[in-house]
Amino acid sequence: MARSRNHEQWTSPPPFTQEEYVDSRIYSDQDIFEEELEKIFKKSWIPVCHESELPEPYDFRTTTIAKEPIILTRAKDGKVRAFLNVCPHRGNMLERAPSGSFLDGSPSGNPRHITCMFHAWQFDMKGRCVYISRQEEGYQDRLKKSQMGLRELKCEVYFGGFVWVTLNDQIDMTVEEWSAGSLEVLKPSLDEEPLEVFHYHKAIIPCNYKLWHDTNCEFYHDYLHYHNRITGFNDAYFARKNTGFDNGHINVGSFEVQYDNYEGSHSREEISFPHLPPNHWYMIDMFPGVNFNLRGSSLRCDIMTPLGPNEVMIEFRGLGLKNDDAVTRRSRIDHHNSIWGPFGRNLHEDLLAVTGQGSAMNPRAENRQILHGRHENETIHDENGMRHFYEEWGRWMDRMPSNPDKPFVERTTATSATG
Amino acid sequence: MSNADAVRDSIYRSCMYKDDMKWQEWLDLCDEDFQYSITAYSPEIRNDMIYLSGDREEMRGMMKMLPKHNTDHSPLKRHCSVYAVDLEDDGSMATAVSSVVVYQTQLDGINSHVDAGESKVFLVGRYFDKFRISDGVAKFVEREVKLDTRKLDKGSHYPI
Ligand code: FES
Ligand SMILES: [Fe+2]
Repeated sequence: MARSRNHEQWTSPPPFTQEEYVDSRIYSDQDIFEEELEKIFKKSWIPVCHESELPEPYDFRTTTIAKEPIILTRAKDGKVRAFLNVCPHRGNMLERAPSGSFLDGSPSGNPRHITCMFHAWQFDMKGRCVYISRQEEGYQDRLKKSQMGLRELKCEVYFGGFVWVTLNDQIDMTVEEWSAGSLEVLKPSLDEEPLEVFHYHKAIIPCNYKLWHDTNCEFYHDYLHYHNRITGFNDAYFARKNTGFDNGHINVGSFEVQYDNYEGSHSREEISFPHLPPNHWYMIDMFPGVNFNLRGSSLRCDIMTPLGPNEVMIEFRGLGLKNDDAVTRRSRIDHHNSIWGPFGRNLHEDLLAVTGQGSAMNPRAENRQILHGRHENETIHDENGMRHFYEEWGRWMDRMPSNPDKPFVERTTATSATG
Repeated sequence: MSNADAVRDSIYRSCMYKDDMKWQEWLDLCDEDFQYSITAYSPEIRNDMIYLSGDREEMRGMMKMLPKHNTDHSPLKRHCSVYAVDLEDDGSMATAVSSVVVYQTQLDGINSHVDAGESKVFLVGRYFDKFRISDGVAKFVEREVKLDTRKLDKGSHYPI
């Protein structure tokens, strides 16, 4: 008796062009993962936090990109700088706390200094080495403090106060150039007045980081969310545009969400963001794993830190306007959490779905083709956003997403005959 | 039963009802003006946060909508110890602080063939409760679940 699909049928290419599906090995292969850290995450601009997380001089914040520990400081000049969070003496991690202030001294060091607790070397907020314990006795004149500064990384504050860092000294683009126009749709809303983070939580999920990014890039999965079906799914929703930009970024146009249609939910029309029409909803997905999501009254930002081929840490932030009064802020928080909090309606559903993908895509599994073949005039349920991402991914990795053993070949009109 | 015992009784019953997902029975332990919240302090942003909040009707509404949502059905069980009950002088109001650990027993959250049946700590925190007491019955007017756990992974649709 014929089976619904045997091995050969299951593993042979779908009736799509090569750009319209990817091989599941790109979500599970250890070597591809390590290569992604080297070729992509160590080369691009990554937002790591928001400037409101280190508001005062001598404040600091720690993070990592591609397994490299990073510390951000704010100096007396108000500038935020980024350094490897690594002591130049014997490689100890300098600061272990997620955030804090160097105003007070530490057990091994002086106020206003970063002190390595191990042998008490000290650094200022600009990364300069200012103290080496028993320097002359041990190093005579062979080693100078001026040679022992911290490794400083390129850092910019851009787009509503987000702090961007790159491990790539050779990068020839500012963050604005890197964003290639994808952020423009929200710049007026985010740059009008200072923002503030009111929500932070993190999730470590057993799935590849790209699967989370895919979920942020496609809205076809609104079938997963009762909330979005009932408050969305009308003509204006289906007309939302999915637009690709250089460097693999995309954004998704807005429409007016009918929040009242969900029982117990309320319109957000009284609270919005500057220049954002009430109840509107824009989404920006930046290569390789960043999401900005402005929905009515609150801004969400996801930052992905890949931990393994099948493990990603996602940091979720919620932001409002810094000068919110208490009542307004409280409403923003409630609106944000009802959908996107760890106990909210939608986030849990999204995380369940990618967990399901992660647990069904083990290395050496019988090959799966992950379909990205929907064409709906580049509107909301088109999958052009994911196709755009994987084209860029293929370029950076020099691998075909549909067959990662093959080198990347630029798309030609001939190969997208069915497109 | 003393008023302090009435407070303890309500706290433990609320755990039992929520463990058994008897949301209506849980909310029946709450007064009309009940306010629920899950909060946490974030050392990352150095701020107090609210993760979920609602009054009695809003909580009732959220529970009513659960069948329409995709969810992790792995049950949560609360292990709670009431640390302190403080009664107001006239005995009409009380506050209580309890420690709570919530365990999750995997059912359908990941790959049930492998994981189903495994119990893990889902979160730890404290309950800060306020009660109105009349005729020996302590009704919740406020519950704040203050979480220590902030890495909540998939999260949950269930109140704690
Ligand atoms: S490792 Fe930092 S002072 Fe020695
Ligand atoms: Fe979603």
